[in-house]
Amino acid sequence: MDKKKSLDLIKLEVLGCLTEQDKEKLQAMKDEGDGFPWKELGDYQNLIAILPATLELKYPARDLKDKTATMLFNMRDQIKAKIEAKKAKEKPVEVPVAESVEVEEGINIEEQVEENITTEEIEIVEKEFAEVEEGINLNEVEEASIKNEPVRFTGNFKGKSEPETPSLQTDEVEIKELETKEFEPKESGKTVVDREVIEKIARDYMKGYERELNSLRSSVKKNKILSFIIFAVAIILIVAMYFIK
Amino acid sequence: MADTNSLKDAEIMQRVAGYDSKALEQLYDRYAPILYTLIKKIIPEKETSEEVLSEVFVIVWRQIDQLDFKKNSVYTWLITLARNKAIDTLNRNSGKQMPDYNDDYEKENILPKLSPEMEPMELQEVMNKKEMLVKALGSLTDAQKYVLELSYYGGMDQEEIAAKLNIPAMTVKSKLQVAFGNLMKKVSEAG
Repeated sequence: MDKKKSLDLIKLEVLGCLTEQDKEKLQAMKDEGDGFPWKELGDYQNLIAILPATLELKYPARDLKDKTATMLFNMRDQIKAKIEAKKAKEKPVEVPVAESVEVEEGINIEEQVEENITTEEIEIVEKEFAEVEEGINLNEVEEASIKNEPVRFTGNFKGKSEPETPSLQTDEVEIKELETKEFEPKESGKTVVDREVIEKIARDYMKGYERELNSLRSSVKKNKILSFIIFAVAIILIVAMYFIK
Repeated sequence: MADTNSLKDAEIMQRVAGYDSKALEQLYDRYAPILYTLIKKIIPEKETSEEVLSEVFVIVWRQIDQLDFKKNSVYTWLITLARNKAIDTLNRNSGKQMPDYNDDYEKENILPKLSPEMEPMELQEVMNKKEMLVKALGSLTDAQKYVLELSYYGGMDQEEIAAKLNIPAMTVKSKLQVAFGNLMKKVSEAG
């Protein structure tokens, strides 16, 4: 390979000044591979890139950073899809590890999403456990049934609120919100099931209590009838003894 | 987490590749002035040049996986990307017949195709050499500087420069090659 020829073409390529014919020639040299001056190509690419450093620095408007942040925020779905694709490609099965310190320091979106999933799930399970415990507190149910009041469920079913994040971190916040939202139906779905279970327990208990009352009432009724019969028999016996005498 | 101000360009870019928005903010703070200076030299109109700067960062965020951290210089990648985007915008705004701008076009014409063998450069390191670079550039003849400017900042090809200067395209070609060769020589001697 003629190194001088390839260097001449490299100079023009780096400047973006190659004709179509020269482009093809240079591409053929690159494809040939052996002996192509890649190092020199890199040197010329670096050289042309340092030219702007000789200019007097100019600064963009201050609010441009916010405008750029808005543009990035608007492409959050695209980035989210990329993150998911990347995750699927690199880590097909992964157990995420939650580290609260990293969340405070603003780690990358991918890690935050994983942490969100983990912490949200743990919180949901904890809430549900507490709610079931509260729900099957029979003393409360009993009191309520005696007072003929509806049984109240004291668990907090509201979703977790997200902190505000300024500037370029807006897309991170959005992705966090999206992840949280994804879990809301799951959370409320579980909650509905638990409410039903607790209400069923309460209803069963109240039914059992009512059955006991009914049996007491019926036994009182039976006793009343029995006493009336005994009383009637006694009267008959007294009358009979009077006539026998 | 380490202070991002002390991180090297490549380290920041690696964080950007993990879609760390704080790293992108840090990259913006560090690179916006030099990229804006370059873009404004190509497109003097303030609003358009600012739009292009924003678009460059959007491309960085979207196409970061196209940068090979191990083989390429982050500085050169960003400068080349900004230059390509600005020249493309300049050509479109001047009414030049251009293909539709889509993902394939962006990958082919806007994203830098850098050599797999290149020295990594840091922005700060380049800025420290400014005086030497100005001197090296000053050693070129006016004609050499002019054709380099028309090519690099004007985005003109050989025919366009030839038409502008009313000289043969072959002369333009050789002037560009000689000018660039001399600049490399001067910078290598000074460096």
